[in-house]
Amino acid sequence: MRKLLLIAFKDLKLIFRDKAALTFMLLAPFLLTLGLGLVTGAYGSSGSSGISQIKIIIVNQDSGQLGQALVDLFQSAGLADLVAPTLVSDPLTARAQIDANAAVAAVIVPAGFTDNIIPANYQAPAADILQIEIYKNPLSPVSAGVIQSIVEEFISRVETGRVGGQVIVTQLLSAGLIAPDQVSAIAAEMGQLQANSVDQAPAISLQAAQSGPAQKAFNPMAYMAPGMALMFLMFTVSNGGRSILAEQARGTLPRLLVSPTNSAQVLIGKIFGVYVTGVIQMLILIVTCSLLFNIQWGNPLGILVLILAAVFAATGWGMLITSIARTPGQVGNIGTAIMLTFGILGGTFIQNSFMPGWFQIVSKITPNAWGLDGFTTLGLGGSLVDLGRPLLGLAVMGIALFVVSILIFSRRSFAQK
Amino acid sequence: MKKIYNIIWKDTILRFSSLSELLFFLILPLIFTFILAGGTGTQNADNRIRLLVVDQAQSPLSAQIIAELAKSATVRPDVLTLSKAESEFQARNASVLLVIPADCDSQTLRTAAIVLDLRQMPDNLNAQAAQRAVQAVLYRLGSAVSIAKNAVTEAEKLRSFASELDRQAYFDTALASAQSLMNSAPDRENVVMGGTIDPIQYDPRANSSAGQMITWVFIPLIGISGAFAYERQRGTLRRLLTSPTGKGTYLLGTILGNVLWSLVQMTLLVSFGALILKVHWANNPAALAVMMTTSALAAAALGTMLGTFVKTEAQASGLSIMLGMVMALLGGCWYPLELFPAVVQNLVKVLPTTWAMQGMLDILLRGQGVIGILPVAGVLLAFAAVFFVIGILRFKYE
Repeated sequence: MRKLLLIAFKDLKLIFRDKAALTFMLLAPFLLTLGLGLVTGAYGSSGSSGISQIKIIIVNQDSGQLGQALVDLFQSAGLADLVAPTLVSDPLTARAQIDANAAVAAVIVPAGFTDNIIPANYQAPAADILQIEIYKNPLSPVSAGVIQSIVEEFISRVETGRVGGQVIVTQLLSAGLIAPDQVSAIAAEMGQLQANSVDQAPAISLQAAQSGPAQKAFNPMAYMAPGMALMFLMFTVSNGGRSILAEQARGTLPRLLVSPTNSAQVLIGKIFGVYVTGVIQMLILIVTCSLLFNIQWGNPLGILVLILAAVFAATGWGMLITSIARTPGQVGNIGTAIMLTFGILGGTFIQNSFMPGWFQIVSKITPNAWGLDGFTTLGLGGSLVDLGRPLLGLAVMGIALFVVSILIFSRRSFAQK
Repeated sequence: MKKIYNIIWKDTILRFSSLSELLFFLILPLIFTFILAGGTGTQNADNRIRLLVVDQAQSPLSAQIIAELAKSATVRPDVLTLSKAESEFQARNASVLLVIPADCDSQTLRTAAIVLDLRQMPDNLNAQAAQRAVQAVLYRLGSAVSIAKNAVTEAEKLRSFASELDRQAYFDTALASAQSLMNSAPDRENVVMGGTIDPIQYDPRANSSAGQMITWVFIPLIGISGAFAYERQRGTLRRLLTSPTGKGTYLLGTILGNVLWSLVQMTLLVSFGALILKVHWANNPAALAVMMTTSALAAAALGTMLGTFVKTEAQASGLSIMLGMVMALLGGCWYPLELFPAVVQNLVKVLPTTWAMQGMLDILLRGQGVIGILPVAGVLLAFAAVFFVIGILRFKYE
C-alpha cells in the first residue's frame, strides 16, 4: 500500500509542477467558463427557474366591466409572479414598445368591447365583432404564448357567459317558464349573471398541487462550470495515461521493476495518481468557481460523491486510451480528441436536452453527460439520494473500462518491456 | 525558393506523420460544425413548455383535451404512461405533469364535475405558465356543459321538473344549443405579430460553419509555436545555423507551409458547409478568399510569436488548444457576439478571431463583397504584421 501511495504521490508532484499541464487542467476550463458566463449573462442575474415577470403592456379603451375585469386579472395577486403589466392609453405607443423589444406582448381592449358582447337592454348583438388585440413580440414566442393563454381563458369565460345567458333565456321561453313579455326583464338579469360568470367554476377543473422534488432557482453557471471541469478532466486522465507510456519510453518503468515492486503495483499506483489528480483538479475548479462566480453547487456530500464517481469513470477512459495507444504522443492526440468529442457529446457546449433522442443515448458513453446530470440535479436542490442514476451510470462505466483496460494491458505485458 | 519548398515539405511530413492529425485537421471540425449547425436534428426546436400528460381515460373527451393542448402556444403535451411520466417528473425533465383521470368522458361531464390532476414543481414559473394554458383549454371544452347546468338551475328556480327524464331532456336541449352557439361563437381575439427586429443576426448553419472553421484553423496555426519548440528541443534548429539558410527563409517556409495547409483545410470545411449544410459560401468567392488568407496569416503570425515565448512542445500544445478555444469563444465563433455585454464586445476587438468571424459573417449574412470586407481584412493583416515583427525580433535558434 505504501508503495502505491509513493508512486501516486510522485506522479502527483510531477503533474502539479508541469506548468503546461496546469494551464490545461485549471486555467483553460476556468477561462472558458468565464467566457460562457459572459455569453449567457450569468453574472448579471441571480438565476431563474423559468419564465417570470413577463413584461406586458395593457391598453384598456373599454369603459365597460369586461375591459376592467381583464386589467384586474393581469394585476391580480395570482399572476403577480408571472406577469409584470404596465398600463398605457395609446395602442400606437404599446405596439411601438413591442417593436422596440421593450415588452413581450401588448393586450389592447377596444372601446365598446363590453357593449359589443353584452348589449344593453338585451338588444340584438352588434354585427361588427370587436376583438381584443394581442400584439406579440416574435422574439419571445413562449412568453407571448403565456399571455395569449391568459387572454384566451378570459375570452372563453366571457363567451360562456354570453352564450349561457342566451341559452337560458331561450330555454325558459321555449319551456313556457317565462312569458314573451318577461324576456326583457329576464335578459337583463341574465346579463348581470353572465357578467358575473367570468369567475364561475368550470365544468372541467384542475386540481393543481406542487409536488415532486423541491427546485431551487437554477444558476446557469452551475451547469457551465461543471461542464467545462468535466471536459478538462478528460485531459487530466489522458495526460496521466501519457505519463505511463512516457515512463515506458524513457526506460524509467523497467528501472522501477528492478526494485522490489511488481508491475501490478506500479500500474495501480500510477492509476491511483491519475485518479487523485483528477479529484484535486475538480475540487480546485469547484471551489474557485464557488468563490469567484458565487455558484451554489448544492449538497456538499452529493458533490463529493459525484466527483469521486465522475473521476473514476473518466480515469477508466484514460486507461483505455493508454492501453490502446503505442506512444505518449498518440495518447496526447487521442486524449485531446476524445476530450473535445466528449465535451460536445456530453453537453458542455450545448445542453443535451435540446438534442434528439439518439444523440442523448450516444452521449451516455461519456462521463460528462452522467456527471452533468448529477451536477444539475444537485444544483436544482437534489441530494445524494437523487443521484442514484448518474452514480450508477458512472460506476458501471468505470468498472467496464477498467476491466477492458486491464485485459489489454495484460495482453501487452505492461511494464515487462 | 527551393529551400522554402523543402521546409514546407519537411513540415508537411512531420505534421501528417501520424494519422491522428486527421482528427484535428478534418474529423473533429466536421463533427463540431455538424452538431452545432443543428445537423443532428434538434429535438426541441419546439421550445414550448413540456407538459407530461397521462391519459387514463382514453376517451374521445380526453383525446380532445390533448389535441387542444397540442394547439397551445405555451405547452407541448408529451403523452406517456403514468410510471414513465412520474419518472420524467422526478428526474426534473419536465416541470409539470397532467393526469387525465379514468372518468374523464362526456357521460361524467353531464352529471358531475371532472377534476384533472396537475402536478407542478414547487416554485417553478414554467409550471405556473403551463397551468394557465391548461386551464384555458379546459374552460373552453367544459363551457357548454357549464351553460347547460346553469340553464337547468335557472329553470328549477321557477318550476321543479316533473321527473328526472324531463330534467335530463331539458339539460340535453340546453347542451345542444350551447354547443352550437359556442361552436359558432365569433373570434374575439386578434393575434398580431409585432415587427420586432432581432438584434442578433444568427443563422445556426452559417454561424457554425464559419465559427468552427475559424476555431479549428486557428488551433493548429497557433500550434506553429509547438513546431518551433519541437525543433528547438531536438536541436535541429541549431543545425540550421550550419546551413546557408537565414532566419527569414526558415520562418517564411514554416509559416507559408502552415498557411497553405490551413487554406486546404478551410476549403474542405467551406465545401462541407456549402454542400451538406447549404451555407451560402459561394456568395462572393473573391471576398471569401481574401478573408481566408488574411485570417490564416493572422493566426500563423500569432503562432510564430507564441513560438518565441514557449519553451517546450507540451507547453505549446496545451497553449494552442486553450488559446484557440478561448479566443474562438470570445470572438463570437461559438455563440453570437451580440449576446455579450457591450463592454466585452469592445474588449474582444483585440482578438483576431473576432475580426475573422466578423468578416466571414459579413460575407454570409450581410452580403458583403471584397470592398465591404476590406477594413476587416486590413485589421487582420495589421495583426499579422505586428505578430510577425515581434516573432522575428524574438526568434532564437536555441
